[in-house]
Amino acid sequence: MVTESMPPTYRLTEEQTLLRDAVRVIADERVAPRAAEIDKSGEFPQDLRELLAAQDILALPFPVKFGGLGGELLTVCLAIEQLSRACATTGLILAVQELASLPLLIAGTDGQKARWIPKLASGEHLIAFAVTEAEAGSDVAAIRTRAVRDGDDYVITGSKRFISHGSVADLVTVFAVTNADPTAARSRRLSCFVVEVPTPGFEVTRIEHKMGLRGSPTAELAFDGVRVPVANRIGNEGDGFELAMKTFDRSRPGIAAQAVGIAQGALDVAAAYARDRRQFGKRIGDFQLVAGMLADMDATTESARQLLYKACVEIEAGTPDASRWSAMCKLVAGDAAMRVTTDAVQVLGGYGYIDEFPVERMMRDAKITQLYEGTQQIQRLVVARALLGKDD
Amino acid sequence: MGAIWVIAEPGPDGGLARISAEAATLVRELAAATGREAIGIVVAPDPAVAAADLATYLAAVWAITEPAATDHAWSAVAARHVVNLLGTEAPDAIFVGAGADGRDVAGAVSAQTGLGVLVNATAVAWTDAGPAVEMNVFGGKLITTSGFTAGRGIITIRPNVTTAVQADTVGRIEPRTADGPAALPLVRVLERVSEAGAKAPIEEAKIIVSGGRGVGGAEGFGLVEDLADALGGAVGASRAAVDSGWIPYAQQIGQTGKIVKPELYLALGISGAIQHKVGMRTSGAIVAINRDTDAPIAEFADLFVAGDLFEVGAALLTRLRARSG
Amino acid sequence: MRIVVLVKPVPDPASGSERLGPDGRLDRAVAPNVVNGNDEFALEAALKLVEAAGEGEITLLSMAPANAPETLRKALAMGATRAVHVTDAALAGSCAVSTAAVLARALRDLEFDFVLAGIDASDGVGGIVPAAIAAHLGLPYLSYAQRIEPDMTTRTIRVRRTSPTGYDLLEAPLPAVIGCTQALGEPRYPSLKGIMAARGKEIVTRSLADLGLDPATHGANAATTALLDSTMPPSRGATEIVRGTPDEGAARIVDFLVERRII
Repeated sequence: MVTESMPPTYRLTEEQTLLRDAVRVIADERVAPRAAEIDKSGEFPQDLRELLAAQDILALPFPVKFGGLGGELLTVCLAIEQLSRACATTGLILAVQELASLPLLIAGTDGQKARWIPKLASGEHLIAFAVTEAEAGSDVAAIRTRAVRDGDDYVITGSKRFISHGSVADLVTVFAVTNADPTAARSRRLSCFVVEVPTPGFEVTRIEHKMGLRGSPTAELAFDGVRVPVANRIGNEGDGFELAMKTFDRSRPGIAAQAVGIAQGALDVAAAYARDRRQFGKRIGDFQLVAGMLADMDATTESARQLLYKACVEIEAGTPDASRWSAMCKLVAGDAAMRVTTDAVQVLGGYGYIDEFPVERMMRDAKITQLYEGTQQIQRLVVARALLGKDD
Repeated sequence: MGAIWVIAEPGPDGGLARISAEAATLVRELAAATGREAIGIVVAPDPAVAAADLATYLAAVWAITEPAATDHAWSAVAARHVVNLLGTEAPDAIFVGAGADGRDVAGAVSAQTGLGVLVNATAVAWTDAGPAVEMNVFGGKLITTSGFTAGRGIITIRPNVTTAVQADTVGRIEPRTADGPAALPLVRVLERVSEAGAKAPIEEAKIIVSGGRGVGGAEGFGLVEDLADALGGAVGASRAAVDSGWIPYAQQIGQTGKIVKPELYLALGISGAIQHKVGMRTSGAIVAINRDTDAPIAEFADLFVAGDLFEVGAALLTRLRARSG
Repeated sequence: MRIVVLVKPVPDPASGSERLGPDGRLDRAVAPNVVNGNDEFALEAALKLVEAAGEGEITLLSMAPANAPETLRKALAMGATRAVHVTDAALAGSCAVSTAAVLARALRDLEFDFVLAGIDASDGVGGIVPAAIAAHLGLPYLSYAQRIEPDMTTRTIRVRRTSPTGYDLLEAPLPAVIGCTQALGEPRYPSLKGIMAARGKEIVTRSLADLGLDPATHGANAATTALLDSTMPPSRGATEIVRGTPDEGAARIVDFLVERRII
């Protein structure tokens, strides 16, 4: 059921505008010049990771009390959007740092937060989010990695696949089955742990070669009897599934922000091209078929952006409809990014297909926003459920 | 009726500043038109030269000898004397230039006397209610005419608004002293440093040839200077050129630089974004050479030549030299 | 080292949104406002001096309408310590003379070693307020600064004042007022930390009553100048655009200059 929105309208605060502009400057001056090379080499940009740390960008999602800057969800998304405009891989560094920390931020004890957050905020440590397995993508409850209690430890055995930053992280938020009892409720089987790596039994067994986001290492992680102390468990045993769902409510906007950024970046290139390129004696942007495409690209991007910002404000305000907002903004933004980048290639014609211009990379980068953090199909299920409720 | 004063600012070598000659001309004309007395005031360690020059524009000149002006910043020295004079005199208007020294004097005198200030005058007329001062505001978007609520005040006047024209007869020079409380602190000048490349105040130039980002580097400004020489003008620059270190800040035209009104503004490789436009949009004639026909300057220039500024500039230089050759 | 930086919110010059209000003065309700350009150079100079000294405080002082805190936030984010905001409905429509008097009065309540101010503001471009403030306070005024060097041990300050031929090296005892120019250096972009920290910084509001000043003798009631008329400048006419060879362009320029009697 949809409740009345609160607050009824929003405006970027002066602080958020300043912040957005500060990140934009950094993105334009320091990140954008590296984007093509990152894609070509497929190497994780350590220099940009260090830049984000040095500029306190990685501190945005974390509470001031633990060394962060205490940014709201919208503030973090503004930063992800600006970075992603220049380079989707770099935008993801901030997005994953936030995403993977969310279980700790939502359900961690003060002791746990004090232990781990300061170095995450400073960017000294990176953190990855490990839910997905080879046989469990959309179906989170079907994961098979086990965490068995043994004295004061848990022993984790299993493997995770498609883990962003899995090979460069210092901490991994791992979701594992702690209750294998077939009669146990599906949503109470999982628990969440923070695994500090390297550690005996932990291995990165594979790095994927991807269509896009090529500078971001996507890893397969093997846990072969990895011991973690009970103190590393986030929340109570059995809380894992709900924690994952709550995490998605706040992490999906981050991916939506990445998608909006990618779309805007592609639109900027296409619009500039349409202004400069002349055929048949005039700017191609003055031909209606091209102008129409660009107009649709702009409207699509702006719609996705406004929905994202609104969703962030609603979620931050504690709306009971957080899942609906987060799924909806990610759904719209991902589709927007794919459409806008594809059209951007079209506007550039042959030049859009070669790497002399960045739009082909942006199109390849955009696709993932329709796939990860919940496929578009999953997002639709979430929205539909919010709309229709359950069958009484 | 009160007199109209002009406070003469020091020019190079103790002479009269160009702006003061222009202001004196305007003051003479206003005084004649309204039946008032026009008085020029010179404050200097040795006012003789400047006073003699000023007397070719005005019937009456007060020459105040002030040794402190040798090694103290002039504006506070002059302001002290003006404030003291105002203890016994009551002019209807006091004119100064709208440059650095003039503004400093205007501010100090205004604070100590409560006289209002109207700034950057481009034209002055006189009504029954006192001076009516015209100025360009908002970067030239609007022309306003304003007056003083008390019917009298201080007016700062832009360069190149009046042409300096000497009077038919030479005026009288009267040595004056201005006694009174010396309430304004003076500032010591330890050293006056001349830097290579620094020229006369660019606001005074009748022709300015200006270079922007398109010039590409300090060497490129060689062409700008050659064209300025060939036209008998000064070299100006956009902020981009100054920030890149190709030319000193003193020559920057625009919002955080100088506002100019030459007869000709020739812009090479300048896009004409608003921060620059506000500095030169009231120029008599604006000619731009730029590769980019979408540049904002193409919309408000009188003549826009599309092309490579070095090629067009070189061709122009050849033609100009051939004419005077 | 205690520095006060005068900061004036002005309509963003890049937005081209400046216009007169119904009272014949600049309409300050037109958004968006930014910190006056020259004041940013002044603030940057202050920040550099504090950094070099390893200690110091920077207080922003602003006389502005009620919505100024939004604009002051960027200046606080750059690193100023706190802000004092003088605001009063009666101050709307103040002329430069009144503004200087009010700011001088507000400065009397602050402790400082020197005051930095942009030499002029992009909205009025008068350039007289800092000199007037110094005169009110009986302080030396060192204007058009391209370099500022305070010496806290001897309590003096040296300033390079831009001159037509180069610069004059000025010196005065502290406290003093210094007029700042762009030549002092590009203002820093606030860091993220600075932006977030600005939230916690104090902005003290002072009304005319707080300053012990009579509304009847300040603001629009006491304006020394008044607008009589305003008009649009005559349009320049259409731009003549010349494409062709460089020599053709050059020839047209020469003809144009002859037509206009410039050569």
